[in-house]
Amino acid sequence: MTLAETQALFAELVRRGPEADPAGLEACLAGTPGLPAAERVGIYAGMYLGRQVEALREEFPRLAGLLGEERFLALCRAYLSEHPSEHHDIGQLGRELAGFLRREPDPHRPDLADLAELEWTRSLAFGAAEAEAAGPEAFAGLAPEAFAAARIRLAPSLHLLHLGSGAASLWSALEAGEEPGPPLPAPTAVAVWRSGHRVLHAALGKDEARALAAALAGEPVERICAAFAGDPEPAAAAHAALSSWIEEGWVSRVEGGGTGGGEA
Amino acid sequence: MALSRVDLGHGIGLRTRHFERFLAERPPVDWVEAISENFMAAGGRPLAVLEKVRRDVPVALHGVSLSIGSVDPLSERYLGALEALVRRIQPALVTDHLCWGSHRGRYLHDLLPLPYTEEALDHVARRVGRVQDRLGRQILLENPSSYVAFRDSTMAEWEFLAELSRRADCGILLDVNNVFVSARNFGFDPIRYLDGIPRDRVGQFHLAGHSDRGTWLLDSHGEPVPAPVWDLYREALRRFGPAPALVEWDDRIPALETVVAESRRAAAIEAEELAPALRRAAP
Repeated sequence: MTLAETQALFAELVRRGPEADPAGLEACLAGTPGLPAAERVGIYAGMYLGRQVEALREEFPRLAGLLGEERFLALCRAYLSEHPSEHHDIGQLGRELAGFLRREPDPHRPDLADLAELEWTRSLAFGAAEAEAAGPEAFAGLAPEAFAAARIRLAPSLHLLHLGSGAASLWSALEAGEEPGPPLPAPTAVAVWRSGHRVLHAALGKDEARALAAALAGEPVERICAAFAGDPEPAAAAHAALSSWIEEGWVSRVEGGGTGGGEA
Repeated sequence: MALSRVDLGHGIGLRTRHFERFLAERPPVDWVEAISENFMAAGGRPLAVLEKVRRDVPVALHGVSLSIGSVDPLSERYLGALEALVRRIQPALVTDHLCWGSHRGRYLHDLLPLPYTEEALDHVARRVGRVQDRLGRQILLENPSSYVAFRDSTMAEWEFLAELSRRADCGILLDVNNVFVSARNFGFDPIRYLDGIPRDRVGQFHLAGHSDRGTWLLDSHGEPVPAPVWDLYREALRRFGPAPALVEWDDRIPALETVVAESRRAAAIEAEELAPALRRAAP
């Protein structure tokens, strides 16, 4: 057999198991009385699936815990057969899992896709670039007339998710080892970010989620603050939100609005 | 040409779960090995951590997805990412495995065995040449642990690796545990393997644990280095002299100090084995 033929056969045996082509296997591969060739190929087939399942479990630990061994394995098999790895980094294997779960929802737990999206985003936050966090002086460095037009540059690890269920609460229950509640529709905005070496997430109110979306889109401060227009005390609400963003380390820097502003 | 050998001492793998403590405590290791693919994302935090570590100790980049033996074309995306990482980290060593792991653009994420034939030897030697030209430096290839052999093979793995290192002018990362595991799985004497490897081509050692599955051994990297592997390491040191040595631990990764202790044990064994030779060499 040529090298190309050998690898085509071996890849097939690894993906589908020794039973995929018993005749080809016997013709190509050698075993011993104590360990026949088919069993030896089975070692590779088992590792092929096992390694990828472990990689997915590492990225989606709460999803795996919720499903249990058997259902998680079934999910991985179905997902991997539709999305075989096309990236050299096995850590990228799970990037389509939330989308897969949205297309193939679990009838008993339609919130699995949201849980997967939350876990994948937490993984992205963990690997995101580092950035210095700005302190409260970031805004103090701005001239008053530049404040409205200033733009907030956010930490690269910060993500905003719009989930259709209470997946953030589900994640917390699973993390705490509690029995998860039934899935309920609960549109929730969730911020995910990294603080030091820890990844955190928190549900946001509607106004703050709109404000954060504006900030992530690079809108100026006045548009960010406009998200709180419906609040009885819009200025106080905007101030509280921006202060908490600074406190959580979400803000990398504030860029001046052109007239007298400067980077802090 | 000969292999450019560097003597780095004894290192450990830089693993994500140890990032925080590694940066805070700077454990007593001579160098670290980073799995190349985990640090290829441009601008990501893992790369920032590696750059911080690199300021203090030498780094070896150890790849698992070069797929040097695959009949797929060498991946431009992969080579570009590796080249950028090499430029940025300036590693002491760049290593990967004698294996293949991709087929028709899909990654199998395993170190799959090659038939040891002239065709495969030509194929791999040409590709190693292209990678070394691209990186502007020699690479080292590691002997994989293997579980099945091909009927078409016309030479032993050690003969293939020895000839490849000469033909492609590359180095050998001799994984002592893999020699032990493959020897048991195929019933050959591991000393024959060591005897077949050219002395001047071994640029690094790997050590690891394995698990016994009854009729075969699994290269599991999830337990301490067992006594027979330490013994084989002593044999390797007597033949190949000192080379950077690393204890791999990738499954059920223990606390940082446990991995460091294994690395210091390797250092102590090297000192025991090589001290008499040094004494003999002294005037």
